[in-house]
Amino acid sequence: MGEHQGMWAKAWRRAGVRWGTGLVVAFVLLGVYSPFIANELALVWWDAQGLSFPVVGDLLNRWSYPKYYDIYFNAAAVLLPFLLIGSWLLRRRWSLVRRMVAGALVVVVAGTVCLLPIIPPSSAVSSASTTSVSGDWQAIWRYRRQSQALITEDHAKAMTIFAPVPFRAMTPIASQILKSPGSVDQTSGRRFWLGTDSAGKDVAAQMLAGARISLTVGLVATGLSLLIGTLLGALSGYLGGWVDLMIQRLVEIMMCFPTFILILVVVAMTGRDIFVIMVVIGLTGWAGTARLVRGEFLAQSVRDYVAAGQALGLGSLRIMFRHILPNALTPLLITATFGIAGAVGSESALSFVGLGDPTVASWGMLLEQGRQNIAYAHLIWLPGMAVFVLVSALNLIGNGLREAADAASE
Amino acid sequence: MTAYLFRRLLLMIPTIFGILCVNFAVLRLQSMSLTEAMSAGSGESVGERKVGAGGWALESKIDRFRRTGNDLPALINTYGFLTKESVVAWLRSTAPNAGTKDSVRNQREKQLWLVGTFAVHPLAEVLSDSALADLHGPASQALALCAYTSIEAWDLNRLSGKRIQQIQARNRTLRTLVIAYRQTPGQPFSTADEHAAEKRAALVALVADPENAADFNRSGKWSALVTKTGFYDFLRRLATGDLWSESRKEGAFSVIAQYWQTTLVLNLLSIGLAWAIAVPLGIHSARRANSLEDHVTTNVLFLLWSLPSFFVGTLFLHYFCTSTASGAPWFPNKGLSSPDNLWFSTPRFLVDLLWHGFLPMLTLSYASFVSLSRYLRGNLLEQFNADYVRTARAKGVNEQAIVNRHAFRNSSLTLITLSSGLLAELFGGVLIVEMIFSINGLGFLLLDAARQNDAPLVMASTVVSVGLLLVGILVADVLYAVVDPRIRSRYG
Repeated sequence: MGEHQGMWAKAWRRAGVRWGTGLVVAFVLLGVYSPFIANELALVWWDAQGLSFPVVGDLLNRWSYPKYYDIYFNAAAVLLPFLLIGSWLLRRRWSLVRRMVAGALVVVVAGTVCLLPIIPPSSAVSSASTTSVSGDWQAIWRYRRQSQALITEDHAKAMTIFAPVPFRAMTPIASQILKSPGSVDQTSGRRFWLGTDSAGKDVAAQMLAGARISLTVGLVATGLSLLIGTLLGALSGYLGGWVDLMIQRLVEIMMCFPTFILILVVVAMTGRDIFVIMVVIGLTGWAGTARLVRGEFLAQSVRDYVAAGQALGLGSLRIMFRHILPNALTPLLITATFGIAGAVGSESALSFVGLGDPTVASWGMLLEQGRQNIAYAHLIWLPGMAVFVLVSALNLIGNGLREAADAASE
Repeated sequence: MTAYLFRRLLLMIPTIFGILCVNFAVLRLQSMSLTEAMSAGSGESVGERKVGAGGWALESKIDRFRRTGNDLPALINTYGFLTKESVVAWLRSTAPNAGTKDSVRNQREKQLWLVGTFAVHPLAEVLSDSALADLHGPASQALALCAYTSIEAWDLNRLSGKRIQQIQARNRTLRTLVIAYRQTPGQPFSTADEHAAEKRAALVALVADPENAADFNRSGKWSALVTKTGFYDFLRRLATGDLWSESRKEGAFSVIAQYWQTTLVLNLLSIGLAWAIAVPLGIHSARRANSLEDHVTTNVLFLLWSLPSFFVGTLFLHYFCTSTASGAPWFPNKGLSSPDNLWFSTPRFLVDLLWHGFLPMLTLSYASFVSLSRYLRGNLLEQFNADYVRTARAKGVNEQAIVNRHAFRNSSLTLITLSSGLLAELFGGVLIVEMIFSINGLGFLLLDAARQNDAPLVMASTVVSVGLLLVGILVADVLYAVVDPRIRSRYG
């Protein structure tokens, strides 16, 4: 681990890496806290019945957050302050990498707990506040009735604080189509900071939701392609022989295939679901990783420590993944950064050509609306710049890491 | 040189085969969704089944299914070995009292309907056995659907008019001979048709009729193990060009014939453009490495590399192709040529093509020229440090000649290798560009077909675009051999 931290420190000295990291962190924060920035519910509501926080209470409502990944983001939004405090307290005992991994694990576990059916059927809570009729076990994440009062009722009776963007991404307002940035909804007096699209959905809210989508697709797809690529590359490089031959043919086929066409065809044939899209992008993007890992394994497997491991009678898998793989982590990290950038681009391109998930707001879909309504510059510049900035920030990090690694190896 | 070419061609065989396998796998993904569509279409399967005009939408669904070849099992077809007993067991497993889920029973039932001619004889045996009276209803329905022979486009040339009429008449007869039956939850099937006995006899007679014997015979069951499978069928249809496009009501390849040239021209022109920009740029920045100019170029190109092409294309469309208050747009927003280009003289035609193609080409090629010029710069810098360049300098060869005749010649090998890789990206990217600028090319066609779920057309256009790509890679390999004397000498 120490070597990689040294490389990270070297890379951090480059302005590009610092800028890139800053921008990516900004995107992550915007994505994580998007329910608090864009929401039609009030952040704070104080009336005769007392003080309430409708947005927080809504975080695990399936009506408002129908997709699984939203729950992980919401869990992160709630847990992030605590994780930061915990990280600060542990700063002398655990390394940064360890704290980050632990934090990510906490978020994943918390999100999964919210998604799993853990509430027994006879629970009093379930009958009172949900519309569910089945007698099954329920998840904390489920359909709840939304109190319409918190949105539409006269605000004068209560002290309220609303989110800066008082709209939700996927709620269309039929009378407010293609409004320019800064225009005001006459019926409710709320302002569309970045205008609306051709269905009357607020662009600012969609941009924030799009950040969530892009980050999720980037992480999941790249995680999958890294997993496959590492596995196949490791087997190919370490075992050699006919396994190597077969896997190399497979890699060649994947390299030859116009990946975007393949993604498009599979998505068109199987269904325009965001999870299908993520998985397909992941399944088609592993060829480069496999080739890279194979090269690393070929180089490493002639080293003395591998021979020592073999002499000690360690199993192949143990040598491959406990001993050789940590030495190949730096190039993997670099590929992962470029991979996330590529996956973000692919997802946007897919939505742009009209094969994205129609139930989620994404940057590509906004840009597609811009193409169809070509006179509206805000629908082109905003999503386009968002994709560009995120992709180039990730590429900047990847480039910096690569240059640092090259400098270290010379 | 010939040996080298031959070797490269041989290496392509596993690649092509692999790509066909991937294509086939994708096609099967769609077949699953069609089965679901069929189940959704015949939701009345629990409760009383209506067999009338309405119920026979099934026939056309199955017909469409057969046209894509999705009715066949993927790799091995064992249906030739179905016996009366196995068919009886199959039918019983679809009964409401079979104890399995409705969805599973539905699936099994539809699978039997898709078995086709191989199930005809065993089903007829079931019908002629009066001890199995309860199964006569579902067996007659399965028989009617399995014996149903669709007349496809290419059959019109293959078969005689008399034969086609005979098949169509048989299809019509089969439709009238289905024995109505009841299925209620938890009960076995029960026949509910007063003409059951006549229909049964007629069905058995129809199968036994020597006129139909050729269609239903089971002599080829061993060869059918391999040749009546989805994969074989897919390959056969690809090889003979029999893929039928449902959305365009035309053979898939004849649709593609109208589109592929545009894409090829666009891709070739943008590769040319990419080279024309990348080579001078790369040489220039390599010669001035680490100057301020080089740093600026590097950073600008880096940002350009991250710029998504759909964004750039849409911006072009917004700023250059849309008429504003101040006047007409600078560039046309549609197609690669003016509608009246047939009357143009050759120079005017070319200017027109350039005028239309400039923005699409730029959108398509900027990502390529960025990476090409970066690699060229890196590689040239390596060459400048090589011994042979130092020797040339020591001999007093002028700088221009060193760069052009010595260093660049070696670097161009990398460029050619890269170009063949870039081709793959280009074939993906051309889709977006064609969509933005409404160019009727292969990408546009593919997208249209994908949106309409027209699997055969999608498959055919994917295969064609991969084929074009492979040809491009082959050309790059040949160029490689032309530039690199080592290859020429090794392969004589």
